[in-house]
Amino acid sequence: MTTLADGGGPQSRREAAAAEFHNFLAFARRRPGFIFGLCVVFVTVFLAICGPYIAPYHPERALPGAGLQPPSAQHWMGTDVSGMDVFSRVISAPRIDLAIALSATLIAFVGGVLLGVVSGFYAGARGIPRVASEAIMRGADILQAFPVFIFALALVGFRGPGTENVIVALAFLNIPYFLRVTRGAVFQVRERPFVEAARCAGNKEARIAFVHVMPNALGPALANVSPGIGFAILLTAALSFVGAGVPKPTPEWGSMISIGAPNMMTGQWWTALFPGLALGITVLGYALVGDGIRDYMDPVNRR
Amino acid sequence: MRFVKYAGRRLIFLVPQLFVVSVIVFFLVRLLPGDPAFLMAGQFATEERIEELRSTMGLDQPLYDQYVRYVTNVLQGDFGHSWRTSQPVIEDIKQRLPATLELVLLTGFISVALGIPIGIYTAVKKRGIADRVLFGYGMLAGSIPDFWLGLILIFVFFSLTGILPGPIGQLDPIVSTPPRITGAIALDALLGGHWEAFRSAVLHLILPVATLTLVYMTLIIKNTRTMVEEMMNSDFVQHARAMGFKRSVQLRYAVRNALPPVVTVVGIVFWFLLGGAVLVETVFAWGGLGQYAVESVISSDYAPLQAFVLLAAIFTLLVFLLVDLAYFVIDPRIKT
Repeated sequence: MTTLADGGGPQSRREAAAAEFHNFLAFARRRPGFIFGLCVVFVTVFLAICGPYIAPYHPERALPGAGLQPPSAQHWMGTDVSGMDVFSRVISAPRIDLAIALSATLIAFVGGVLLGVVSGFYAGARGIPRVASEAIMRGADILQAFPVFIFALALVGFRGPGTENVIVALAFLNIPYFLRVTRGAVFQVRERPFVEAARCAGNKEARIAFVHVMPNALGPALANVSPGIGFAILLTAALSFVGAGVPKPTPEWGSMISIGAPNMMTGQWWTALFPGLALGITVLGYALVGDGIRDYMDPVNRR
Repeated sequence: MRFVKYAGRRLIFLVPQLFVVSVIVFFLVRLLPGDPAFLMAGQFATEERIEELRSTMGLDQPLYDQYVRYVTNVLQGDFGHSWRTSQPVIEDIKQRLPATLELVLLTGFISVALGIPIGIYTAVKKRGIADRVLFGYGMLAGSIPDFWLGLILIFVFFSLTGILPGPIGQLDPIVSTPPRITGAIALDALLGGHWEAFRSAVLHLILPVATLTLVYMTLIIKNTRTMVEEMMNSDFVQHARAMGFKRSVQLRYAVRNALPPVVTVVGIVFWFLLGGAVLVETVFAWGGLGQYAVESVISSDYAPLQAFVLLAAIFTLLVFLLVDLAYFVIDPRIKT
């Protein structure tokens, strides 16, 4: 969906893009939450690439005799029970957390959108396509009959812990969300006149579904990517916290919280506090970006 | 009469749902790499035990025979053995289920009892301080990991101030456990009149319940607020306003009509709570079913895990069944 800029038709594609960008800036300026979210996304991506290189200490190496030191000038966030620098680990963690969350969300996005187009476009059709459409929806219903975290835990439990299995479990669990929003969008798009025009021009149904309808029904799924990544980060951390996710001592926020958990009872708050704060801020930031994108795509909310 | 008819139809619908759920849980074991019997038996199992398991699981039989066998066993309450606790899984579950239900139900009820009034209040009193505080709280509660919040509460109320007991389960070790009636310790102590145990059990309940409530109540608040706001702007409330009805009457109309969607959200909260309880139980060493599931995952004890997933799915189906029935009762527009 392209939007025209205010005040006269843009002359060229480039001007239209510039106007769109201008609109976007004007939109973002009125929303501090959206800006905050974008900053969080930017910082986490930056840390995922450079975190381990800019960390003052090695994120997986324990400093001998430096266990459980409170925050100081040398160790900004203190050290954990085995003497690893908490700050270095907190800024190194986005690498694994983001890698897992991004790949899981992308797989879920692709799978969910494709299934959503099939189930939405062929709903109410006849014959095999209709059966496929119904089967997809019932499959999604069943998948969502299991509480999310418990199903993730079970999948990882039966496949064994490890990064790939966490990705598979999270991707699998997120497919229904993308499926449902895409299906809803397809329902609206398939009634639009250009679909009828494409049909009159002699396009095959499958071609209409994937070439004409799908690109115009991507919006809601795209708006879901950012909160989906946040949610996946939260689940990854939860799985690692109980010991079913990323194995120690890889720097990961959830597993850092679990390392720090016993210290919370004896009063060394810094080992679990900082990774949890980083995790919470990240999840919040990605959710806010999702809200912002959703509002931006909705012309009513934009102004 | 209409209700009986509706409930009957809804109950019949439960049968295919249970069937599909059982098929999925049955196939979970097939995800295991290698020989399921070998893995189900655990790392300390003898050769004979594995052989025995292979024949009870019927791994030499056709798939549908295996499925029938699995369902027959489950219906007879046989979920297999846990090699970690060396007990039948059903015994382990019986022992731990009440503790988890206590946590989940108590949190659910408190969230409803607090969340709905707060939601209504903020829908009416917009732009106050309370509204701003709740807005911030709602944003944070959606992003804060529940297990981390539990640890923060432990730090503040146990290690820092010492007001509440630490994360050592449901009772102080020096207090003797009250005789088992329901299995939920606080309730047992109350019923049996063991006041010391009751006091200890309630104190131990505060932090885990507070953790779960703080994280999951926000869903109820948000939805109540949105629905009541929507109803206050609806045609029939505006009509009542134009007719000069008192504000309290307008509000009563609005709340009555906002209730059905809120009931759905309450169901969703219970659905989330079961997952949250797994984590919070782990934090507080609660000794319930959630902690049992986590321990089973870590020690690759597959029979309990399989049973737990099945129970979680059945719990979900029942919650949504109750939601549908409640919806039917409070919203007479539903057709049978």
